[in-house]
Amino acid sequence: MSSGWILYAVGVLNLVGFYAIVAMVLNLEAGWGGMWDLGLAGLLGVGGYFYVLSTVDSSGLDLNFTPGWPMLLGILGSGIVTAFVAFLIGIPTLRLRGEYFLITTFAFAEMIRQLIINESDFTNGTLGITSIDRPFATTFGGIKYEWVLLGITVLSVLAIYLLMRRLGHAPYGRNMRSFRDNETLALALGKNVTRRRIQIFVLAGFLLGIVAPLYVWHIRAIVPSMYGPDITFTAWTALVVGGIGSIGGSILGALLLVGFTQGLLFIPVSAEYTNVLSAMPQLLLGIALILIMRWRPDGLIPERFSFTPGNRGSGGRFLRSRAAAIGGLLGRGSPEQSGRS
Amino acid sequence: MLLQVIIFGLVQGSILALATVGFAMTRQTEGFLNIAHGQYLAIGAFLGLVYFDNLGANVFVAGLLVVLSMGVIGVAIARIVFDPVRKRGALVLLFTSIGLAYALYGAIIAIFGTDVKLFSVSFGKSFAIGSASITVGEIIIIALALLTVAGLWLFLTFTRLGMWVRAVASNPELARVRGIRVQIVSSTVWFIAAGLAGLAGMLLAIIGSASPELGWANILVILAVAVMGGVGRIYAVIAAGLLLGLVMSLSAEVIPIAYQTVVAFGVLVLVLVVRPEGLFAVKRRREIAAA
Repeated sequence: MSSGWILYAVGVLNLVGFYAIVAMVLNLEAGWGGMWDLGLAGLLGVGGYFYVLSTVDSSGLDLNFTPGWPMLLGILGSGIVTAFVAFLIGIPTLRLRGEYFLITTFAFAEMIRQLIINESDFTNGTLGITSIDRPFATTFGGIKYEWVLLGITVLSVLAIYLLMRRLGHAPYGRNMRSFRDNETLALALGKNVTRRRIQIFVLAGFLLGIVAPLYVWHIRAIVPSMYGPDITFTAWTALVVGGIGSIGGSILGALLLVGFTQGLLFIPVSAEYTNVLSAMPQLLLGIALILIMRWRPDGLIPERFSFTPGNRGSGGRFLRSRAAAIGGLLGRGSPEQSGRS
Repeated sequence: MLLQVIIFGLVQGSILALATVGFAMTRQTEGFLNIAHGQYLAIGAFLGLVYFDNLGANVFVAGLLVVLSMGVIGVAIARIVFDPVRKRGALVLLFTSIGLAYALYGAIIAIFGTDVKLFSVSFGKSFAIGSASITVGEIIIIALALLTVAGLWLFLTFTRLGMWVRAVASNPELARVRGIRVQIVSSTVWFIAAGLAGLAGMLLAIIGSASPELGWANILVILAVAVMGGVGRIYAVIAAGLLLGLVMSLSAEVIPIAYQTVVAFGVLVLVLVVRPEGLFAVKRRREIAAA
């Protein structure tokens, strides 16, 4: 009994790690880059599906593309393909600002999910694929495997954390935050904002593609419903709860949010309350987001990198300054286009 | 056959227009995209079922009750959830509405379960129009949408409150300075928006089915219609709703029906990239931007 609890907890930690990585990548895009992306789920879907299809054992499956690559090649391939898809999405959408960017990325994610559902010759449609090999599974089989996966997840979180720290402190990161905070000034200083935006968007796509297999290994299957808006909004909530703009905040947010909602599902209840229990993660996610926005809009760990010292953590500074930038658009009925004209 | 598709497109488009008008109105007067608007549709559908099945109300009475109760719920939500964070700006409001969408979605599942439910309503007898046919029920849905839009137009154009709404939509600061009671305007807009969303949800449940996914399934299409219409003008939103309904059902003739939503979002992306001010905008005219 007790070992069952521990294994469940390890599984939850795997999920926490995955969301921590996604939230960190989101922080790169939105927190520092100022690109409020609601299309994460679509890119993760591309990465997850490419990885599974390129590595799966094709016997028993009648699909159009199953080359049976080794795992590492599959992971690398999924990173490259996802980066390419991000590039294709980025070209039209990065010209848009504020909420129009949100809407368009959201729409692209939904289109990708519909394509995955409908192109069943490639993806096996809503049935998905369930026979998924996991790394080192032959060496460490059985129920202890969750620990192996935990090790891989922790290493991935650490790697992404170090990468983000490096990026955050480097001139590149400062440059990024400069056009987030004052695009006109950055342009006046001769920074190529458009190119930098595309670079970050593609880099985020590549990272999402590389970590997408983690999620697949955790679930041990791939179906289109795994890539609904849930995954995007959970990552966003984790980031906002932890503190948008801070890397540690992303990890803390994922730990609190995913740990709490998943832990809740383990409470034993009688059959008549199963509906209520299954609704709890959504309900709590929503309430958490509302409460944080109301009382602590800068999150639990406010951003440390800021160009307005003395202003840090003063109740919603970040979101307010973002909102001010976007506020100019509101009510005008038209997104401003940047572009290099 | 083509005529039949057009009829279905019109029915779908009318409901879409109903669902989107309120969304565009709140966007204009409150200044943010209310992602929870989709969940209002789902709540409306389930409330309709409660009134119709459990309380045994006539379907029209049930519809009226849905509009009224959703209106009250909409105002209550605005006062409790949105008002306290209003000063923090559009993005905090946007994320609050995403949180609200999740909370409502969870609440719907907790209360009504995940089963798909159907309205046992008869659509009445059908009339032949050439090779196609249209039922009484479908005519009522289209007429209902047109009447609502006409009523909304009359309200906005000829009543004092309607004028206030347009004033706030056009310039909230100036409206406040001029002594317009912004709180009343805000309540009115939320009542109309949530009420119409509830009605649209119930109609969707009648022509299809009611499930907790109704909200998430429709919010993007609502966004698409609102953006196509140019999030500002009530008539443009109606036209965009009808157009998108037609495009979606006509596209089913050419490409597999499963791609209907992809077509809708494809149109959305195309409009945003090519003509971001909306399809029907002649130029930016904020003074007529009532809804």
